[in-house]
Amino acid sequence: MAKEIATFIVNGQGYEVIVEPHMLLIDVLRDSIGLVGTKYGCGAGDCGACTVLLEGKPVFACLTLAVTARDRSLTTIEGLADGAGLHPIQQAFVDAGAVQCGFCTPGMVLTTKALLDENPEPTRGEIKAFLAGNLCRCTGYVKIVEAVESAAGILRNGGAR
Amino acid sequence: MTNEPHSEFSSVGKSLARPDVAAKATGAARFSADIALPGMLIGRILTSPHAHARIVAIDTSRAKALPGVAAVITHADVPKRGFTRSVMAEGLPPFAYETENLDQYILSDKARYIGDWVAAVAAVDLYVAERALDLIEVEYEVLPAVFDPEDALAPGAPVVHKGWKDNVAGVIEHPFNRGDLDAALASSAHVAEFSGRNSRQKQAHMEPDAAIASWDDKGRLTVWSPSQNAHLAKKAMGRRVFDIGEGNVRWITPAVGGGFGARLSFGVEPVAAMLAKVTGRPVKVLVTREEDFNGWNSRTEQRQTIRVGVGEAGEITAIEQDVLSDSGAYFSHSGTISAVNMQSTLGVMRSPVVRGKALMVYTNNPTASGMRGYGNPEGSFILQQALDIAAEKCGMDPVDFRLKNARGPGEPSMWEPQAITTCALPECIRRGAVAIGWDQKWHGWGAGKEGRYRRGVGMSIMTHASGAGGFLLEHSTAVMKLDEDGTASLSVSPCEMGQGILGVLAQIAAEGAGLRYEDVRTVTGDTDVTLFDIGTHASRSTYAIGNAALDAARKVKAIVVERAARMLGVESEGLDVRDGRVFAVADSSVGVSVAEVAHAGIYEYGTDARHIMATGKHQSVMHCPNFQAGFAEIEVDVETGVIKVLKLVIAHDIGRAINPLTVEGCLEGGAAQGLGYALTEDLVIDKGTGKVVSDSFATYKMLSALDMPEVEVILVEEPDPTGPFGAKGVGETGITNVAPAIANALYDAAGVRVHSLPITPEKVLEALRAHGAGA
Repeated sequence: MAKEIATFIVNGQGYEVIVEPHMLLIDVLRDSIGLVGTKYGCGAGDCGACTVLLEGKPVFACLTLAVTARDRSLTTIEGLADGAGLHPIQQAFVDAGAVQCGFCTPGMVLTTKALLDENPEPTRGEIKAFLAGNLCRCTGYVKIVEAVESAAGILRNGGAR
Repeated sequence: MTNEPHSEFSSVGKSLARPDVAAKATGAARFSADIALPGMLIGRILTSPHAHARIVAIDTSRAKALPGVAAVITHADVPKRGFTRSVMAEGLPPFAYETENLDQYILSDKARYIGDWVAAVAAVDLYVAERALDLIEVEYEVLPAVFDPEDALAPGAPVVHKGWKDNVAGVIEHPFNRGDLDAALASSAHVAEFSGRNSRQKQAHMEPDAAIASWDDKGRLTVWSPSQNAHLAKKAMGRRVFDIGEGNVRWITPAVGGGFGARLSFGVEPVAAMLAKVTGRPVKVLVTREEDFNGWNSRTEQRQTIRVGVGEAGEITAIEQDVLSDSGAYFSHSGTISAVNMQSTLGVMRSPVVRGKALMVYTNNPTASGMRGYGNPEGSFILQQALDIAAEKCGMDPVDFRLKNARGPGEPSMWEPQAITTCALPECIRRGAVAIGWDQKWHGWGAGKEGRYRRGVGMSIMTHASGAGGFLLEHSTAVMKLDEDGTASLSVSPCEMGQGILGVLAQIAAEGAGLRYEDVRTVTGDTDVTLFDIGTHASRSTYAIGNAALDAARKVKAIVVERAARMLGVESEGLDVRDGRVFAVADSSVGVSVAEVAHAGIYEYGTDARHIMATGKHQSVMHCPNFQAGFAEIEVDVETGVIKVLKLVIAHDIGRAINPLTVEGCLEGGAAQGLGYALTEDLVIDKGTGKVVSDSFATYKMLSALDMPEVEVILVEEPDPTGPFGAKGVGETGITNVAPAIANALYDAAGVRVHSLPITPEKVLEALRAHGAGA
């Protein structure tokens, strides 16, 4: 199959990458562009660790053919915060004790971003349902759900705590 | 939460943010697979499609010819040196190590389970490596295989390991057997018996295994991998896998995406090291989730029978435990886990007579190992149901029966002959019972509940070690040094795998030295920097490494006080240090900052220069057992067999919660794993082929956020005099009580017991039908 040069727009920055048709978005992000915050957890779309936002919507980078994402806006965990500080969602995860080993955290945080963009005031049940595709082995989700509730409140308040 | 900050402390007892989590939230943290070295190749492993097969021939020529392939290795290319996958075994005393079976090779000439390693490739990238695997041609002679440990014991069963006469991998008597069991049971008023088995729960750390290896020009090996005990891994690699000596191995532990016991074993590090040696380039070996499920780590399936004798007054007279462990294809942790099962499971109950025996058996199933709890969740599922059966025979409330028969202070601990120093178990039981509403919801034995949806409550208690002090190798060393600005580095060697130990140790050291928490950096993850430590397992790090950190911190504080006294021209006796400032207790306006003292020590142009530092040590003679009570309320649908857990309560004897938020998270996460163990998680192995059927997160059902019930964590603080600020261990414990508490709640709700984990709706319905109830 033919190799081609494709452009990926990741966190607002364009990257030209040599891709083959069978290459997966996760490998382009991690190996070609060097953004390794996106995690490989299962390769099957079961765990959500590789979640990135494609035009604002969560997708599994491990199941997405790279060529389908070219020239489209991608957000990875590295692009969430504005500047050197933490995004309010990230800060809420830190404050609530929602991060243990941290391997699921990038996907969990980006899924939360997608949820709160779509539904700024989710109920606890809506939070749990939206996060059901992101597995965490460490926390039992108790503090993750608390973090999302907290982040929702902070974002509704314009980012102030 | 129930825990107020302790005002006498600046750092200890406060839910301070951990130092490592912000980087994990931004994606900046680097896990092993995230690291790339110049010139690095990607390694992949070819696995066997057969459960038992001799490798007749391997043709690697087509794979080697593929552009981008640097090396293909097989059993012919590796040292003929046997080792055990259990890296933790390196901490065993020689007499115990001799009972470990050195049955593992980097690559073997015989496949012993589906997924066993046959060959490995190193190539320029993952895609080329994958193509190369497809081009390796292996000729197998398929051999008869055995997948059930009882079948494996039958005469004429296929023998898994060459040169062995049978599949008996080992036999262990409970080290603390005592008394005449037969006589004690014969004279008991009642004997309760329960038999059952646990599933092969997967550790399922979210980060798949990965390892990088690189050799330098002097033949020194550096490994990057998620090991829970890097110093022991260094020894195993230098002494067993290769014969190069410990000094020729440096082990770096990047961020670790969960461990849960899996990383007490070798992952793919030996293969990475071999590929790197052959190619002369750094090699990163990667693993798929499917390979992990078909692989070299899971909880060990144990089939057990426990009998409990009880006297007229409801006192336990004797306990017998019989364990059959399915080691799988390689021995790994199956010996140590069987011993710890008996010690921890039975160690919570007082009994004048004990007899325990474990038999470990090879099969052609994937290699089992140790998982969080390390035998305790396996044994407690059986014992805690046997205790309820005994309580019912005596007509006693399960709460009262346990309060009457549980061990307490002064009595032998789970590792005899040490004595229990502190034990808040009665308080855990009482507070847990209140939280679940025991007195309102438990209506006596045979309460005869009716209707489709039946509610019940159940309980379980446990003890667990805080390290193996007094029983196994158990010492830790910490080095603390003060920089010129009054901040400090604390060099220690736990594994930070998510549990929050870096923050906990910084809190302990900050408190001990009189520094601010944010001014203490915990340095770890490199065996060239840290001193020997057996690593993170057995719920030991807060207790054992914490004691070493506290010792170092107090020594640093003493040096600071002594030098400050000279600077201030006062006696050192009247000085204290807190929050980075030395001050006179009698007049706090007299003082100097630690930064000034530290700076003056380094930039001292006379004869008294000193970079303030100290080495702290913990040589454990005690394992400081912790205790816990767990409660569950469930509702079972007797038409479908579905169990809905309404609430879990975990009341833990923590001694002192150094960081309450971290301890809560640890127990909540443990409870979630316990709930999966109880109800859904099952590594299903096809009985005909030995193939793992549930080899993905789609088929191996871990709980999602949607599945979690309310979990109430109660921290009972009764500081133990031997722990740092009174702290005891907690790491593994949250998992243990959940399954037995749910099983006992099922009996309360519907009058049936299920004898194997997980307790699926099918098994509940089967039990209900056998019992003549339900739909």
